[in-house]
Amino acid sequence: MRLFLALIAFALCLCGCANVAPYQRGYLAREDMALDANPGTLRALEKTYAAKEAASGGASVGGGGCGCN
Amino acid sequence: MRLALAIAALGLSAGANALEAGAPVPALALARLDAPSRSISLASLRGRVVYVDFWASWCVPCRISMPALDALYRRHGERGFSVVGINKDVAGADAERFLKRVAVSFPLATDAQDAAARAFDVKAMPSGYLVDRKGVVRQVHRGFTSETAAALEREVENLLEEAS
Repeated sequence: MRLFLALIAFALCLCGCANVAPYQRGYLAREDMALDANPGTLRALEKTYAAKEAASGGASVGGGGCGCN
Repeated sequence: MRLALAIAALGLSAGANALEAGAPVPALALARLDAPSRSISLASLRGRVVYVDFWASWCVPCRISMPALDALYRRHGERGFSVVGINKDVAGADAERFLKRVAVSFPLATDAQDAAARAFDVKAMPSGYLVDRKGVVRQVHRGFTSETAAALEREVENLLEEAS
């Protein structure tokens, strides 16, 4: 029964998958499809976060925790 | 086991559709980009050497390929060379914006329902299919660099020399 439910859940997950043909990549190029729609703002936020939390480098950026880099 | 075989067969059949050199060009009628009520028929271009090019505004190499194809078309158009650019943009406005920067003189078509892209089984952007005077695909170019442009120039000249 548990296996059956797991299979159903897996099949339902597959419904969310879609093949994007090379010529359909215009959909992926849309602005609202970007992982970070505004890279500039994201970078500023990350820098502020790292400085405030003394966590510079925590987001895979080299340097110390002084917030000066 | 039977299921696995069925899945494998499906996979094989999907891969076997790609249009390669030696295949006849699909006889499609495509709506023109500038006037969708009018159409461009690939069958009516029989007797000419044709380059069918799939392009889009989001396709970076298309910024190189489109001016190169336009130059080729201007040089060899009178000798019987045609280019048909099939646009794969989702929004027509994107294509218009691209064409304002990269103006071309050859006919452009739309493919809103992906019928042409499926018929050619486009595997990369841009994809170009060089068709001889008899309507047979002679060369397929996937991607576009300056080397592609040089090779295409030679191929077009060779095909134009061939008798129809």
